Amino acid sequence: MFWKTWKALAANGVMGINRRNADYVLKYNKRHLYPVVDDKILTKERAMAAGIHVPEMYGVIETEKDFDTFDGIVANYRDFVIKPAQGAGGDGIIVIADRFEGMFKTVSGKIISRDEIGHHISSILSGLYSLGGHRDRVLIEYRVTPDQIFKSISYEGVPDIRIICLMGYPVMAMLRLPTRQSGGKANLHQGAIGVGVDLASGVTLKGTWLNKIISKHPDTTNPVDGVQLPDWNGFMNLAASCYELSGLGYIGVDLVLDQDQGPLILELNARPGLNIQIANDAGLTARCHKVEHHLAELKKAGKTETAEERVAFSQLHFGMPTSAEPSEPQPDPATA
Amino acid sequence: MHSINLHLKILIAVLVSLGVLITGYQIYFLDIPVTEDETDDIWSLDAKVEFRATPGTPIKAQFYIPPLNQDYVSLNESFISNNYGVSVNSQNGNRRVTWSSRRASGTQTLYYRLVLTQRYSEEQLAAAPPPPRQPIPLEGPEQIAADALINPIRQHSADIETFISETIRRVNDITDDNVKLLLNGGTSAMDKARVIDLLLSNARIPLEMVHTIRLENTEAQSPELWLRSYNGERWLYFHPETGQQGMPDNRLVWWTGPEPLLAMEGGRQSSVSLTVTNSEMNALRLAKLTTENRASALLDYSLYGLPLQAQRVYQVMIMIPIGVLVILILRNLIGMQTLGTFTPVLIALAFRETEVGWGIALFTLITALGLSLRSYLEHLKLQMLPRLSVVLTFVVLVIAAISLFSHKLGMEKALAVSLFPMVILTMTIERLSITWEERGGIQSLKTALGTLIAATLAHLLMTIPELTYFVFTFPAVLLILVGFMLAMGRYRGYRLTELMRFKALTKG
Repeated sequence: MFWKTWKALAANGVMGINRRNADYVLKYNKRHLYPVVDDKILTKERAMAAGIHVPEMYGVIETEKDFDTFDGIVANYRDFVIKPAQGAGGDGIIVIADRFEGMFKTVSGKIISRDEIGHHISSILSGLYSLGGHRDRVLIEYRVTPDQIFKSISYEGVPDIRIICLMGYPVMAMLRLPTRQSGGKANLHQGAIGVGVDLASGVTLKGTWLNKIISKHPDTTNPVDGVQLPDWNGFMNLAASCYELSGLGYIGVDLVLDQDQGPLILELNARPGLNIQIANDAGLTARCHKVEHHLAELKKAGKTETAEERVAFSQLHFGMPTSAEPSEPQPDPATA
Repeated sequence: MHSINLHLKILIAVLVSLGVLITGYQIYFLDIPVTEDETDDIWSLDAKVEFRATPGTPIKAQFYIPPLNQDYVSLNESFISNNYGVSVNSQNGNRRVTWSSRRASGTQTLYYRLVLTQRYSEEQLAAAPPPPRQPIPLEGPEQIAADALINPIRQHSADIETFISETIRRVNDITDDNVKLLLNGGTSAMDKARVIDLLLSNARIPLEMVHTIRLENTEAQSPELWLRSYNGERWLYFHPETGQQGMPDNRLVWWTGPEPLLAMEGGRQSSVSLTVTNSEMNALRLAKLTTENRASALLDYSLYGLPLQAQRVYQVMIMIPIGVLVILILRNLIGMQTLGTFTPVLIALAFRETEVGWGIALFTLITALGLSLRSYLEHLKLQMLPRLSVVLTFVVLVIAAISLFSHKLGMEKALAVSLFPMVILTMTIERLSITWEERGGIQSLKTALGTLIAATLAHLLMTIPELTYFVFTFPAVLLILVGFMLAMGRYRGYRLTELMRFKALTKG
């Protein structure tokens, strides 16, 4: 029974954690470049230098003493986001939606005091949410207002779009919708929905929720498939250009669609999760092999491609018409 | 990438074949048995004498060593000491080694090793009966106290044997004022033995102090005191505190008499540590090989060449890679979630002290209590370091409380919990509570259970005696292990749990 499942997964080119780590993360992502993606402040600085759109940074708090500057940083804004610079999986993020009688109101309507924010900031600084548990910095930035298009298929929070890129070629995309269970967060393991997105058109496909395939949002009961995402090529080009920005070959690019500013890059992830495959009902290994094959051909010809050309390649090969075809079984060295 | 793959394959091949070759050489050419033999018990007694030499004065260390006229026969005896003169002399059935040196400075270490095996054939040599004795003279209140004790003892006893038992019973009743007076504040076995000797001398019953050692695998033993008396036919042995009659078979007499084990001149801060190690058949073989056949250089470099104390540590250490292998398989092949990478191995090591059942119970109890404290602390909004310190202190207190309770209840097993690594427990609690908050209770229970299962499996595997023996004797198998680990480093297949996770993708 296990063997049958194994064979079927291998035939569909589904990527497992071991393969992701060995063949992609370790192979394409140079260790010394990790700080760029692990530290959101560095990512943001790099992106701004390259002219790529990111949510505006209001300020950085580096020490407990710096908390005194907090009031100055947020003085001109009613709403903002507090983030650990090196947080993982969306942990430790507070979204302030409004102010209330000298206190702050989070996006879920909870009222918190300045002291509670101070405690949270000091937790972040002491490394509670950082990857290695070492000291961290706090990032305070623009609060993204999600585009109206998501209103019917999302519960609170900000839906974001994850695009996995191999050497700058987008290979798979997913729209992540917060649910009541995920507490407004767009992380799949916290209960958010992942919805596959057709790379060619930007139309949503079916979704995944807690490893199951679904087609309706559990809170709003609206269908999640068949939604056309606006400015899809903008998203694709932004994601593809992150290769030059970070130097990392295998990344998950998290983007948001702001009501006023359009597509923005939120963060990069050097170890993107694998549930995107369930959302798209397609295997990552199969697509990655295609890109690697293409890269080998380009190398032979001595050519390189620009971000636009890479997007075009991906849209041609990984768009709906191709994925609707019975996928040709890729020879798999691990199971052969 | 291809060159890396080739490199890796060659490395794996080299390591595995090296491991196989060395192990094969040990098994087929050196004839080292693959399993431990059950036939012959061999005991190695290691004594280590340490002291600081007083500069400018000659050093003389007199150290009792076991007499060789007992139920055990000596296979090998050695004195290891640099720049010291060694002489052994016998007196009153005891043997004593004298290490002497004109001058020395700094910390000095002297070793004594005796390898014994049970004597089977020869007739047992009995110690000579003691000469009749005179009462130890006493004065004033002590004489009155002694008389007050002896009279009822005499009434309650029928012969030497019962007299001694009764005396031991009374002397151990330290609430008795007469006993208190004679003990003069001391409560050690030695003090009691002194009082018993005093009382018996007044009844003209001969008594000798016998210092024994337990023949058990132990690090750092201290000699156990027994008393013996002669009833005209044979020696009777008594425990000075419990009154237990008859010495257990696994005791070896080290020396007799009231003097201390080590008498030191020209040195201070002296300490003696005794280690007893049991090995079987193989040790005999090895002893033969190392004494008769000096040519086998490889064996000289085996772990059996280490001092016994170090050997015992390495017997634990050398099994750690096996535990790590378990975690590797559970995580990368099966896809089980554990807290941290090697935390389960550390917990498994802690299980050595407590046994698995107790270990799991204590781990669960302490972690559960710690988690509830942690969730309470969450409300107080403390910073990480102070919060962790509070949890750690709490863990220490809980462990102390558990030890105290179990001791009062007579469960000595739980005393071992004090060696349960507190920092590991604290970090486990912290990590679990973070997982709990962020991923929910089910997820954190899953991880905790995964950690416990991994730790238990690792512990069970690490404590299989046959496996320990095998790895300890043939450490080259670890090279084969490394080969496997390297191969795992490039394993790209699915994890077992992923087959469930991606079930939805199997169709089509």
